[in-house]
Amino acid sequence: MARHPDTDLVPFLRGDLPPAERDRVARHLEECPDCRQDAEQLRDLLGDLARSMGQPPTVQWARYRAELREKLEARRGRRAWWSRPMPLAVSASLAGVLLVVAVWGGREMSRGTDPLSPDEAVIGHELGLLQEFQTVERLDLLEDLDVIGDLDGLASGQG
Amino acid sequence: MEPSDEALCQRVAKRDEAAFDLLVSRYQERAYRLAWSMLRNAEDARDVSQDAFIRLYEAAGSFGGRSKFSTWFYRILVNLCLDHKRKHRWWKLWVRDEDDDRSDTILDRQPAPVVDPVDKMSREQTMKALGAAVDRLAPRQRAAVLLRVQEDMATYDIARVLKCSEATVRVHLHRALTTLKKTVEKR
Repeated sequence: MARHPDTDLVPFLRGDLPPAERDRVARHLEECPDCRQDAEQLRDLLGDLARSMGQPPTVQWARYRAELREKLEARRGRRAWWSRPMPLAVSASLAGVLLVVAVWGGREMSRGTDPLSPDEAVIGHELGLLQEFQTVERLDLLEDLDVIGDLDGLASGQG
Repeated sequence: MEPSDEALCQRVAKRDEAAFDLLVSRYQERAYRLAWSMLRNAEDARDVSQDAFIRLYEAAGSFGGRSKFSTWFYRILVNLCLDHKRKHRWWKLWVRDEDDDRSDTILDRQPAPVVDPVDKMSREQTMKALGAAVDRLAPRQRAAVLLRVQEDMATYDIARVLKCSEATVRVHLHRALTTLKKTVEKR
């Protein structure tokens, strides 16, 4: 017997299957009592489902449409404001402000990070890692235990 | 002769307000009912279904007529419902709406009676349990079931709405109905 057409039963019951598939499923159902029972149970279940869905709370449709209209108008109003061309003077002023902020911000960043405090400089000097920065840079720390186990080799450029 | 939905949509693209009003009146009940079935909240269903109509108005020009209008519109609506559920998922963990849980009745809260195991639930309770089970389905499975049962949509059209293959829709329906069948069999 061919495979059971589990996922085909729902479309079969509605008549959605193309002719060749429909015939295949129909032949199988004639031969397979289990699938025939499944199909009957599915038919009953789909009927029960339709009855179990319930009805939503009633709506006053005139009010619903009026609300919809208001929302649509509000949306159009927002879009109109946004798409309106700005006066040239305002555009130019805004561009100027943005340029000043960009230049000033760039200068601040190019000054580099804040200088280290004396305490931080001392601590940094004591940390051996910083002296061996080239080695540290080449480690995939926490991910490669073989590498960590051969740190001396790395320091001499053999890693 | 009444204009087709597709013809009305083309007129909406040209900002024909009367065509839009006619489309809304044709689909308002179905849109609201489907949104309510997916969201289980009347206020959310109103808002989301109205948002779907607004999207329809704004995007009418992009409806190319390659699919049925209903398929195109339901795709908009179902996507908005799925988005809404995603956004409100965490909030719903803390706040329960009166609409949300249909199974939380005094009868359901009773402990299982230690009586005759042949006892069967009434038809009404089975229906209620089935409805609650639908509410618990994964969103896309639920959408597939609702489109099939409520809107009597063909598998092909459900696939277009959910933007997936027909095979995927068949799997969604099969899994959903298997789960729901177990709910009924337990009763």
